[in-house]
Amino acid sequence: MTHPMRTGARLELKDVTKTYTGHGEDKHVLDRINCIVEPGEFLSIVGPSGVGKTTLLRLLTGLTPVTTGEILLDGKPVTSPPEDLAIVLQEYTRSLMPWLTVEKNIELPLKLKKIAKEERRERVQSAIIEVGLEGNDSRYPWQLSGGMQQRVAIARALASRPRILVMDEPFASVDAQTRLDLEDLVLKVRDDFGITTLLVTHDMDEAVYLADRVLVLTGKPAHVAAEIAVPLGYPRNQVETRAHPDFGHLRGEIYQLIRGKR
Amino acid sequence: MLALLRRFLISSWLVVALLLLWWKVSANSENYFWPPLSQIATQFKANWLFTNVVEDVIPSLKNLAIGYIIGAPCAVVVGAHLGLSEIAQKIFSPLVNFFRSIPGVALVPIFIMLFGIGDESRRVSIAVAVFFPTLIATVEAVRSSDAVLMDVSRSFRFSAFQSLWRVRVPSGAPMISSGLQVSLQVGFIVMIVSEMLGAFRGLGAFTVEAQQSFMIIDMWTGIIVLGILGYIFNVIFELVEKRALRWYRGQKGLTS
Repeated sequence: MTHPMRTGARLELKDVTKTYTGHGEDKHVLDRINCIVEPGEFLSIVGPSGVGKTTLLRLLTGLTPVTTGEILLDGKPVTSPPEDLAIVLQEYTRSLMPWLTVEKNIELPLKLKKIAKEERRERVQSAIIEVGLEGNDSRYPWQLSGGMQQRVAIARALASRPRILVMDEPFASVDAQTRLDLEDLVLKVRDDFGITTLLVTHDMDEAVYLADRVLVLTGKPAHVAAEIAVPLGYPRNQVETRAHPDFGHLRGEIYQLIRGKR
Repeated sequence: MLALLRRFLISSWLVVALLLLWWKVSANSENYFWPPLSQIATQFKANWLFTNVVEDVIPSLKNLAIGYIIGAPCAVVVGAHLGLSEIAQKIFSPLVNFFRSIPGVALVPIFIMLFGIGDESRRVSIAVAVFFPTLIATVEAVRSSDAVLMDVSRSFRFSAFQSLWRVRVPSGAPMISSGLQVSLQVGFIVMIVSEMLGAFRGLGAFTVEAQQSFMIIDMWTGIIVLGILGYIFNVIFELVEKRALRWYRGQKGLTS
């Protein structure tokens, strides 16, 4: 199977601040977040729960507007969900259309973009193969396990040929074994397509295992506590990478950042 | 096959038992208004198998079909758009609540004044009566769309029109379907009542005319036909719904 090589998008956050107003007092959630994600890079965003990780994800996907500052995707300001961006959310049971089969779920965004039928079919099939869902085309999402449903969501995201993939706690609701499989699937996808990948997670191990770089958010309002490069080589391996001394060291460093500044 | 037979027996034994009881209790009845079921059965055969079907049943059903096919889809379209806009809901809700509070059958005289005593007024009455239950269900269905699905729609850059008809309406289909079912029942009632005023043919007209000319046995046969028809409609509706909303039953883990 050959893949058309794509180049990832470059994402830049400049002094991004978010304040929710209304409902009594203003809630200052994010404070001057700065970050650059290079094309093809894998960035994990970690932080304690409730710190504002999901808010940051909503801002950089264009689902929620920033209060001040700027988000640039390949130099263009993000004000609504951009063309080259695809999202995978945690709640796979709610993010897929239960009235459509696996195939139709993946096809829907392509269909509504008026992509020709032939190309649609080809894209859907290659996405299904990419995530390992062969033979499940005509099943419904609710007939599949959680892990498989999340694979459908990933396939749907890939079929739209994004240059940046953003995932919000995508493996938080699946069992441990499935989680490891999906982590490796995401690494494979990044490898096959060279797309820029952002992962929001509260799991420090996962953040380190997958990423080139980890962005640690802490505090109220949240700010960038540290940007930690992950010097572990590729390909990564669930046994060897996790047993590497650097892995433990990085994990410990992040743990202290998050625990120490709670 | 055996399972099918069992299901049939479970859902029909009570009906059969009650019919037998009616037959037995009414067998020697001297009461003019409460004739023996055996007489009603004989008359039923004479009246409805299949002599008056073309004259009385078909025109009634035609009115219902036309009224429903106009009223219900309009309600889905209007309701879907109302469901999108909080402001539109605020503007229209007093109006909607006013009209929904008026029983459909009470509208019949108004439409007879407007359109005369022909089939038009009946069809319009049915269409209007059918409109409100579906409208209210559709507004609610569209309004309560899942926030996650809406994020997904936006992230894939669906247009407002696409996200309404490809996401909100299908995901609200189970609720809309309940509205459509209530509408069908309301339409059925209005179909009958609209014929009780000034119609010469149709099931309602037949039944009322029989009652007013003291042909009580005929009246009873009319009532039985109405009951059977209403029952058949519900069965058909549920069969269609079960098929169209198979995903919903599957997702909720409902069997059969």
